[in-house]
This record gives sequence, structure tokens and C-alpha cells, in this order.
Amino acid sequence: MAMGSVSDTLWDVVICGTGLQQSLLALSLSRSGKNILHIDPNDYYGGAEAAFNLQEAESWVDRLATEDKGFFRSASITKPDVAGLSFPRAYSLALAPQLIHARSELLSQLVSSRAYRQVEFLAVGSFYIFKAPSGPEQQPSLVRIPSTREDVFSTTAISAKAKRGLMKFLKFVLDYDRLEQRDVWKTFAGRPLVDFLQEHFKMDAELKTYIITLTLSLDGKITTEDGLSTIYRHLTSMGHFGPGFAALYPKWGGISEVAQVACRAGAVGGAVYMLGAGIKSMATATDEVELELTSGDMVKTKLLVRGNESVGDGPSISRLVAVVGVLYLTTMATSNSKEVLSRALESFLSAMDHDQVPQCLYQLYYEQAAGVKQSRLDELTIDLPGPSLSLSMDDLLLKHVREAWKKVASDTADDAEYMIFTDREPVDDDDELE
Amino acid sequence: MASDDALPTLKILLIGPSGAGKSALLMRYCDDEFDPDTAAATIGIDFKIKRLAVRGKPYRLTLFDTAGQERFRTLSTSFYRGAHGVILVYDISNRASFMSMERWFDEAKSNTVEDVALYLVGAKLDKASRNREVTQEEGLALAEQHGASFCEASSKTSENVRRPFVEIVNQIVQTPGLLTNATAKRRSGTVVVDSTTNNGYFSLPNCAC
Repeated sequence: MAMGSVSDTLWDVVICGTGLQQSLLALSLSRSGKNILHIDPNDYYGGAEAAFNLQEAESWVDRLATEDKGFFRSASITKPDVAGLSFPRAYSLALAPQLIHARSELLSQLVSSRAYRQVEFLAVGSFYIFKAPSGPEQQPSLVRIPSTREDVFSTTAISAKAKRGLMKFLKFVLDYDRLEQRDVWKTFAGRPLVDFLQEHFKMDAELKTYIITLTLSLDGKITTEDGLSTIYRHLTSMGHFGPGFAALYPKWGGISEVAQVACRAGAVGGAVYMLGAGIKSMATATDEVELELTSGDMVKTKLLVRGNESVGDGPSISRLVAVVGVLYLTTMATSNSKEVLSRALESFLSAMDHDQVPQCLYQLYYEQAAGVKQSRLDELTIDLPGPSLSLSMDDLLLKHVREAWKKVASDTADDAEYMIFTDREPVDDDDELE
Repeated sequence: MASDDALPTLKILLIGPSGAGKSALLMRYCDDEFDPDTAAATIGIDFKIKRLAVRGKPYRLTLFDTAGQERFRTLSTSFYRGAHGVILVYDISNRASFMSMERWFDEAKSNTVEDVALYLVGAKLDKASRNREVTQEEGLALAEQHGASFCEASSKTSENVRRPFVEIVNQIVQTPGLLTNATAKRRSGTVVVDSTTNNGYFSLPNCAC
């Protein structure tokens, strides 16, 4: 891209927003030779999937109080009067702290597109559930959910009978999608998974809790069909990148990290990046869109891709981000969900260490509304779905990105080559020794 | 040539305003090439790798260019993450580029670890005789003010091109903890996602296909 005003170019595509989907689109187009202008109304990357240091979190909360930020509301920060907080930049609070299962298509796309090297992933080893004290002399505890054969054998948390039941279920899930197995659950498909566990596997309350927790369903009402596919994902992800873990977490800022790395790949491919530049107004002609940006620039493009900013009809979530390390607590938004999360945090901290309960140094609370789940394509614009509220990466989002990619790159696209790039070969030679 | 995976890897960034000569410096240092006609922003270079031995010990440098993201100051926090050193480049024949360096120092410092090695380079030294707009003393003073080392260099004539790289590596390896801590921090507990294992305790059922 030669230097010049962004107004001088007729862009092949303007991408608005640097959330995960738009950023992955930029990555997918990074070798397409298209003229790409990638903008974001915010002065930070990631949109609804951004990660903030404490200072940034504070200005985000301040801005939310005065302007409509679409999906987010009721944001507040609490700083208990205790010492121990490090400097603001030492923390990275993710708005999208999603787990990525090892078998998620996102990881294979990051690898095949060679964008993965700049993201560090942590292994998410085990899932635990909180167990309230069973009597006045007892302490609360965290119980690990056994989800491998070895775990099931070695756990002392459940009875021998329950072990057999659990093993039977886990084996069932591994080929739940085979024709003969489908007959077993298809009458339950749209009903809650918990009913299926109860009626078909005769599970007790505790085992049911284990299984439902593994689905990461926020309200526990996940259907049998979705639930089985989620547990299947969990089991097949287990051990995929190493023993003992099924999921990964981008080390520094959740999904925001992936978005930033994807944008960098876009920039390396020649895309021009502007932050703090949103769309103020747009006018469509027959074969191009003219945009007036909030930065004052007028730009013309053959195609506009943006995220759908409308609130969808799904339930909202409440999230508490607590700095004790960094903990993310999420629940369905209700009139008292803030209180529920506070109590959950207290219980969790007391279960971590009974004698010296860790202190929470900082809390960020907010509620987030669900986005629209479908994408919308017409001749000149593509609206990608809103951000996902799921606790784990939802591969469905990747389909929408691929659809958008097909439309943008329709003249040159080879579907089999989607997101498959060679390394940009760095020159590697020796300097003489000092 | 033996695999250099085992060599300590240093992440070094080149930042500064558009047109300061960052890419030219990188190209001259890594490839010994200089193209006087490329005024266009850099496309297609993610990072370059160079092996360099300082005090008899070899290092693997990964040198990151800005990929044009300096133009509207949209470098991301993830770009800065894990950097051991930052080379800040301005153009000695362009006063405005020098005047912007204060903000580049701020950005570099606020996105990197406290003891990161900083190096200020006044580029396009070949223009000194006819078009100099920033004195060497001014450059040196700014560098000292920010605890950075300093030199002027010309990618066109190659003068001083190696110096910033050699000296910043020297600086990095002499900063106690910078290399070991940053590297250990980066590696520990992270997962390699480009190779899969078959350690799953639940294997998929055998299929006939």
C-alpha cells in the first residue's frame, strides 16, 4: 500500500471492528492481494472481545456510563481497601475469557495460517466443582470432575457404582453420533440433557452435576443433542496436545490475543489499520459504498464487512472479573446475579485455602447482552453475527467468517486453500562472531 | 547447518514513525540490500531471523518490523509482548520524525517489561551533509533521557548498520534476568499447538475406513 490518504483508494473491502471474527477475516484475506482497510471505532483492538489493563478497564467503565456501548451495561469497578495490587499494566482483564477446546477448528486455522506462533496458550487441565461444607465442622472444597478413564478409576469422590455409570456414559458419548447410538438418544434430542442422564443412565444428582458442568452450559439447560456434542468435543480434545488437558486459554488476554495476532497478519499482508475510526455515516451507490469515518476521512469501498451490533434475543450474562490472579465468574443475568457472583467468589476463595483465604484486590462487574446469531450478506455489505457469550470457543462463528471470505475473495478464492499459508520465510543467516 | 532451536531467542522490535527507515535498516542488516526506490510501506515481512554471536555466545534474533501499523499508531499490545529490546528509529533529515520520538518511547515503555533494552537510531546519516534537521547531540540527549543507547546510521552506505543490533544484544544479555526471566516466562506452561499427541485416554473406536 503506497502512502497516501485513505480517501484516495477505492478499497476492495473495508472491515469495521477488530473482534475475533473480523480479525480472522483479515487474516484469511492476508495473502489475497486485496486492498483492505481495517478500522475500529474503539481506540483498542478486540471490540467486545478486548482485554484491558486496569486503567483501560476504568476508562471503559466510565465511557459505558455516558454512552451506549451496545452489548454492555451495568459495568462497575470495586476496589476493596487492601494492599497488594501491582501496577495497572500488570493485569490483562479479558472481556471474552473463552476456553478453546483442543479440537476447535480455530486452532487448526491458526496453525495452517502460520499465525499461531505469536499466541501463547496455557493448558486448561481440569474442571472442578465447588462442594459446600457437608456439616458444621466441614470445610468447602473443590472437587475435580473425572473425565478420563484414568481419572474415573482413581477418583475417590464417587462410589464404585457411580464410576461404572460414568464410564458407561463416557464410552457412549465417544460414538454417540453413530447410527445405532442415535436411536438411543434421538427421542431426547431437543430435551434437556439432564433428563437423558436421569432416564437412560439413571445417574444420581452428583454425576448429573459433573456432566452438566463439563458442557459449560450457563443455565444447565443444555439440550441432549448439544450436550452430547459438547461432551464429545471435550473427550476427543482430551490429550490432543498433551496428556491431561482438553482445552487451551490464550495466556495474556483471552480471545483478544488471537484477534490482535490475526490483525497483525492482516497488516503484514498489506491491510491498513486505523483505530478510533468508526463509521459515522454511509451512502451506497450501485457498486460501491461511501463511508464517512468518525476520524473525518471519507472512504470508498466495494464491500463493507462489519459486526452486527444489534442485541439479539438470547439471554444476557453477568460477569465478575476478580483480581486474585485473575478469576472470571459468569452466570445468567438476573435481578440478583451480581450478588450471586459475589457470593460465588467468596465461596470459591474460601475453598481454595481455608486457613488463609486469598484476598480479592479488584473487581470488574458487567452485564453483556447476547448478539444476533446469524450473518447477513447483500451485494455491498456483510454483517457478521454478534459476539458469542459462550464460555468456550464456538466453531460456528468460524463458518460465518469463511462465508464472508468467500464473498470478498470470490474471484480468486480456492476453498480448499482457506487459511492455508506458507511461512513468510525469514532470512536466516549468520552474522560474524564478535 | 545445525538446528538453532536451542539458541536463546531474543525478540527485538523496530518502531518509529512511517518513512523513518526502519525497514531499510532491517533489510541492510539482514540481507545487505538497499533499495533507494522503495518509499512504499513494508508489505509481506513479518519478522526476520538473524543469528548473532556476542562475546562468543550465539543468539537467535527475531527482528520484528511494524508491518505498516505505525502509520496510524495501531501497534497492538501483543506485538510488544515478550520483547527483550526495542530499536526506535527516526530520520535525521526530518525534524517531525524526531519530534514524535517522545511518544514512541512512551508507547514502548508502557507496553514492555521494566528493564527492556532501548536503542535510539538516527537513520539516513548519508543525508547529514545536505539535509540534516536533527543534530547528533539532540539525538544523544533524547536517548540518555530515556536510558537508551544511541547511534546514527545509514542503510544506504551501511555505515553503523550493525552497531544498533550488536549493542542492543549486548545490552540485553548484560541486563540481569531480562533474557532468562522473559524467556522462561514465555516458555513455561505453554502448549505447543502445531503438533498433536495421542495421549488421549479415551481413544476413538476403531473404524473400518
